[in-house]
Amino acid sequence: MEITFTLNGKKTICHIKVSTTLLELLRETLNLTGTKPGCHEGECGACTVLINGKSVNSCLYLALNTNGKEITTIEGLTKPNGGLDEVQESMIKNGAVQCGFCTSGMVLNIKALQLETMQNKKVPGSGIKNSPNRNEIKKWLEGNLCRCTGYVKIIDAAEEVFNKGK
Amino acid sequence: MSKKLKIIGTPVPKHDAKMRTTGEAIYGHDIKLPNMLYGAILRTQHPHAEFIIDVSEAKKLPGVVCIITADDVDTNHIGYKRDHPILKKNEANCTRDEIAAVAAETKEIAQEALKLIKVKYKVKKGLYNPHDALKKNVPQINKFSSGKFENKNIAEKFFYEHGNLEQEKKNSVAIVKRKFTLPRMTHACMATSNITAHYTKTNGKLLLYSSTQVPFLYQRDMAHALKMNPSDIRIIQPIIGGGFGSKLDMHPFEPICALLSIKTGKPVQILYSREEEFIASPTRQPMEIELTAGVDKNGNFTFREIEIIKDNGAYTSWGATTPFVIMQAFSSLYKIKACRFNALAVYTNNVFAGSFRGYGNPQATFALERVIDLLADEIGMDKAEIRLRNANTKGEITGQGLHYDTCGHKECLQTVIKKLKVEKKKVEKNNRFKRGIGYASMLHVGGGAKIYRSDGCGTTLKIDPYGFCTIITGSNEIGQGSETVLAMIAAEELGIELSKIKVINTDTDVKPWDVGVHASRTSFVAGNSLLGAINILKEKLNNKAAKLLNEKTKSFTYENGNIISPSNQQIALDKVVREMHFTEPNELAIASYFYEPSSKFQDKDFKGNVSGTYAFASQSISVEVDTYTGNVQVLDIHVAQDVGKVLNPLLLDGQIHGGILQGVGYALTEELIFKDGELLNPNFHNYKMLTAADVPNIHFYPVETNDKQGPYGAKGVGEAPLIPTAAAIANAVCNALDIEIVELPITPERVLKAIAEKKNNKKNK
Amino acid sequence: MEFEIESPKNITELCKTIKSYRSKSFRFGAGYTDLLMELKKHTPRNLTVINLAQLKDVSFSSIRSTTKNIQIGAMITASKLVTDTRIEQLFPVLQQAAHNLASTQIRQVATLGGNMCTASPSGDLICAAMALQASCEIMNDDKKIHNLSIQDFFIGVRKTALKKNEFLFAINIPRNKKRTATLHSGFIKIGTRKSMECSVVSLAFHLQIDKTGKIIDAGIAIGASAPTVKFAQSACQFLIGKKINSFSEKEKEEFANKVLSYASPISDIRATAWYRKEVLFNISKGVLE
Repeated sequence: MEITFTLNGKKTICHIKVSTTLLELLRETLNLTGTKPGCHEGECGACTVLINGKSVNSCLYLALNTNGKEITTIEGLTKPNGGLDEVQESMIKNGAVQCGFCTSGMVLNIKALQLETMQNKKVPGSGIKNSPNRNEIKKWLEGNLCRCTGYVKIIDAAEEVFNKGK
Repeated sequence: MSKKLKIIGTPVPKHDAKMRTTGEAIYGHDIKLPNMLYGAILRTQHPHAEFIIDVSEAKKLPGVVCIITADDVDTNHIGYKRDHPILKKNEANCTRDEIAAVAAETKEIAQEALKLIKVKYKVKKGLYNPHDALKKNVPQINKFSSGKFENKNIAEKFFYEHGNLEQEKKNSVAIVKRKFTLPRMTHACMATSNITAHYTKTNGKLLLYSSTQVPFLYQRDMAHALKMNPSDIRIIQPIIGGGFGSKLDMHPFEPICALLSIKTGKPVQILYSREEEFIASPTRQPMEIELTAGVDKNGNFTFREIEIIKDNGAYTSWGATTPFVIMQAFSSLYKIKACRFNALAVYTNNVFAGSFRGYGNPQATFALERVIDLLADEIGMDKAEIRLRNANTKGEITGQGLHYDTCGHKECLQTVIKKLKVEKKKVEKNNRFKRGIGYASMLHVGGGAKIYRSDGCGTTLKIDPYGFCTIITGSNEIGQGSETVLAMIAAEELGIELSKIKVINTDTDVKPWDVGVHASRTSFVAGNSLLGAINILKEKLNNKAAKLLNEKTKSFTYENGNIISPSNQQIALDKVVREMHFTEPNELAIASYFYEPSSKFQDKDFKGNVSGTYAFASQSISVEVDTYTGNVQVLDIHVAQDVGKVLNPLLLDGQIHGGILQGVGYALTEELIFKDGELLNPNFHNYKMLTAADVPNIHFYPVETNDKQGPYGAKGVGEAPLIPTAAAIANAVCNALDIEIVELPITPERVLKAIAEKKNNKKNK
Repeated sequence: MEFEIESPKNITELCKTIKSYRSKSFRFGAGYTDLLMELKKHTPRNLTVINLAQLKDVSFSSIRSTTKNIQIGAMITASKLVTDTRIEQLFPVLQQAAHNLASTQIRQVATLGGNMCTASPSGDLICAAMALQASCEIMNDDKKIHNLSIQDFFIGVRKTALKKNEFLFAINIPRNKKRTATLHSGFIKIGTRKSMECSVVSLAFHLQIDKTGKIIDAGIAIGASAPTVKFAQSACQFLIGKKINSFSEKEKEEFANKVLSYASPISDIRATAWYRKEVLFNISKGVLE
């Protein structure tokens, strides 16, 4: 079947098998390999992408349900001139990247938290707030596994992004 | 080094962090070659069975290009003891066993073909417990083992001793004996195992895109397995999504993939699913450690006697050699007058373990540090004091012959004891939540480990006519940041901007020999190798600069891309290189160096100074235990580590944090659960790796002892952080609840059981 | 994974689709977090998935207030339950259960209806909804609605009372008895880690307390302790009328034993039956501490 969606700001039309997951569509058909396959079971978060600004595991999302939606992958976060998003900058500066296999998903999930707090002035589960505290960041990142960093520098990187906004 | 350092010691972000943050980095999973086929492996359905296999139906499936079984290949066995057939014939001996492999045009077809392979099994009763495997009249599990031991199911034996054990027993006022059981933990790298093999029929060359962490040993092993010439095999390492020791052994799927490519003449790729990764990638070595230890009336440790039974699994991997490291902890961590060590690795029908960050040391340290607490209790001595009293010291030569030229053990201990004491005051106890504290230290090699004929590393260094520098190093980047440290060293010494330094380290056809990433050796060995090459190259550059500047001196400094004489004459580095190239005697600005650490291969009694230097670390940990649920919450972890010298604080922190959280997982949550040889939790859902929400507060205090042997005084750091963590947590939990823990992980259920047992014991008394 | 898909755009189309599949095999797909996992392992031949993700009807995916109830559409995601102010204020137990469900990414897509209809004995949203004594609004392919108490909705491990031509449209949670009542409401989830857990045992409690400290209504439900989530009726009765701050140690234990009487847990790789009972007793006591 045919689906139409906006991918990293560009209108995209694809012909897919109905059972295709978004992860397969991105990696295998569209060659966007920045989205990483970590487990295919929604447990590790490496394949996280943004759908209409919300972070979602692309391995458990049917590609056909993206019809009419806006998808952002890690490739879409880099600016056209090669400049990086502030979340990416902060990850690099804080030493939050080791093997890097979880990094795309981490970056996008932090981005999702930033969008959520900017739009709704709310940190889910914690009432009205302009920015999350360290524990709320930790909770938000619970679905992104990382084996190298012990998460500390990743949490630091996210915290710095939110402290800047204050 | 008296000169003030400009780059070494600063928090330089990882050299390649940017491409790993933008999705541009190419991992093994991202490789796509023209005409590439997808490989898949059929594993046995039963851990132990005889089988007959029929692939005729599967071969007929459109899109299937090749199917191989043991009958179709002519190979040598693999593994540390060469006791492991790549494809198993007629008999399966563990749940991982590879019995057939398919190459097909798509992943889906390859999977479909696996389902069409018909296998008739005659299930046999396996031996899943090493004690059972040691009994008389049981079958020989591994038919390919050397059989050189008195029992056919013994894979390997280790014996070590120093001092007068019987005398030291007599000198002891208290003796404690305990048996500890350690689980199978797995690496769970975020990228699953992967390989792409590309064989070119016309010239007989095999190109492997492999994430091995020891490319040169791997090249040799692969050649042996496939009966090829090693030099006809070229290994290119894509970006590696996690290592931690898992990629030290060559695993059957790798030669299988090569065989599929050789048979088809096309590139073939094998990617593990996550379930396959849990089932078929290596684990930390499970073992039983029985430790007897004593202390004299002054609180000095007297002796340790150790009996270890390791579950070797069905085949022998590098994991079987972990006793090298285990005995080192027992013989040389804290001052110890006598030590006797026996270890057996026993074949079973379980999966085999491999090497895992720490290499046996977390197991040893857990037993050792638990028993220290018990000894302290026996003689009524403070748990901090007994450790300080027995701590290792500079200049010490241990019973095993390790030379501690520098030693930060005492300072590490003092630091973490002091830091946790402050916190202790805050501790409040109520009925439900109980708090406790625990200490543990560790000793690990800090300057490589000579377990192979050479522990060396080669470097070729080049400066181009534009003033850019290329480091071609034998060492590997597996995410730990070795590229960055090497670039920093070159920048420091040659006065070249970091952005002008390139590191080439992924291609065995190009790079000089190196033994591989293990034993926390890379910064130490590759760093020293690079410094050696820099010295040679500088001599050439100095000569040319002296000529061009009309200077007699040969001692130039290198800053901001210039070579500067003591009289402050200067010339641009790139200009010197151009002059080297274009004026007589026309030479390249290139130098090569092979560094071999001063360490010694140990003798047959396992004695000798096996590493260039040794790393020490201590941790103090506070926990809060919910006695209603058994959940242990780690509150604060203080870690002091003798790192020799901080080369890059940002990367160092990363190693510390990452190691510690793996240690917390080992202590509290992570365990592969088997029943009769079959894995019950092959997924992230039931294999409980910790999440961001579980992260405790980690406070790190680097201790700098400036070891003469290390680059700028640095020691290896990679493995150390996870080694004492489980021990310190166990001590803290025991302290909180006044219970005994002899088994990891300390799951909520085990905690509640221990509490219930304590209650029952009290009632019975 | 091979299947066919039908993506109705509204409830009328949905009912039509269900009617046309009366004699064929189909599954509903909402958030897909459970369904895709299951189908990746094994997809039956000739399966059609009726895709609910593209339904445009607001009533199916919104939270509405009526005089007696708060009605929650079955297609509400867990993350919406977390952020909705009414849920946060009126039913903390439900908000907490939703917030502790899997991960951020899963909560963005996982639905209340999906959690309910999967009917897992450890379903966290089920447990919370049961403590809130919700009722289920069930629609059939003729668009007729009938109500069923939540306790009758679950009939076994992964089994609901839904017939093939029915689907869960919404749940109704009765408003708290008094506006002025203080709530002692929460969700306790037992697992090895702090996150990403499937409950080893769970306990949902929703106590309403008047100004004098008297418990005027109580809902207690337990998960992962029996083939279905259980409402601990006798434990609730025990509490009603008593003062929240006056329980003796013996009374707390009596209460915990009453909760425990609804538990018939199994041993599996995550925990033994012994542990589940032990913990359930302890945390039940903890509710009154």
